[in-house]
Amino acid sequence: MILLTIVLLACITFFSRYLFLHPKLPLRIGAKVTHLLSFSAPAVLTAIWVPIIFIKDNNFNSSLTNPYLLAATVAIITSYKSQNIYLTLATSISTFILLRLFLT
Amino acid sequence: MALNQKQAYLIMIQKGFIAMLPLSLAVLPWGVLCGSLAIQRGFSVLEAILMPVLIFAGAVQLVVIELISDNTPLATILFTAFIISSRHFLYGLALRDKLKNLPFKWRGGIGFLLTDELFALCGESNALKGKLKLVYAISAGGSFYLCWLLWNIIGITAGSYLPDLTNLGLDFAIAVTFIALVVPTITNLPVLITVLIAGFLSVIFKIANWELGLVISSLIAMFCGYLTAHKQTRLTIKRNKSL
Repeated sequence: MILLTIVLLACITFFSRYLFLHPKLPLRIGAKVTHLLSFSAPAVLTAIWVPIIFIKDNNFNSSLTNPYLLAATVAIITSYKSQNIYLTLATSISTFILLRLFLT
Repeated sequence: MALNQKQAYLIMIQKGFIAMLPLSLAVLPWGVLCGSLAIQRGFSVLEAILMPVLIFAGAVQLVVIELISDNTPLATILFTAFIISSRHFLYGLALRDKLKNLPFKWRGGIGFLLTDELFALCGESNALKGKLKLVYAISAGGSFYLCWLLWNIIGITAGSYLPDLTNLGLDFAIAVTFIALVVPTITNLPVLITVLIAGFLSVIFKIANWELGLVISSLIAMFCGYLTAHKQTRLTIKRNKSL
């Protein structure tokens, strides 16, 4: 039963990723929609990461002792200054680990 | 020295792997969590391995493991997975014009590998144009797939020896990767507006416990970014006319 569920779930994830790449789909994308879609990466990625930072157990947490918020601030500054993904990961994750050790 | 075709492909495979490497490493804790959680919630080893092999989607795997172990009805499980996956429709739409006329091996391959991470790497306008860049994308997506599988297997192997990892803050690694991907792309006002609105709305919808919030907040944010860009060009045209 679980195996069947897994196969059905695999069909759903593949369908969601592949559907609009299919050539037979009667759909033409105009210049305006293409321009609109050019904002999809920053929009979706941000809509994923911001709630991780601010929400814990369904509650909004913007306190200065929220390790997520402090470490994310470090990440944003490092990324803005250096544009280097490794440096950003290194500084903010070490900040996060230290904060969790000392704040809890 | 001119490169022959095979050497050029090898270089692109290498480049794709290296570009994806930080993202592949950032999902290590999450992959281990998915694998070990499956074992701790009573899945067999085969079932636990088939999830990253076939489903290959962290958010869906994590939610579904909990739902299945709670004996949730199948229809609810499938519907929840569909809602979580619905952001991928946007990715397919954004890449449609570049991929729809290619042979199935490229379409199907990139379609299967089209995670948030691969889309982030292939989002710019020059990506996926020409065979070399397709090889690059397949290598980036493929290496991410293999790493995801490996991290899951580590979690499955460690399984019950690991403590419950769900409250250790492992999701921070995901958040910070996306920060590192998004922040350098904020080079103009329309993208800044998009990011601010997406962040604001996604938090509101999440607190309201609205499952579709991720997609709706993204759509509204995209529209605001688009309108800002539109306004800007109209203002420039007006200014040029009055000069």
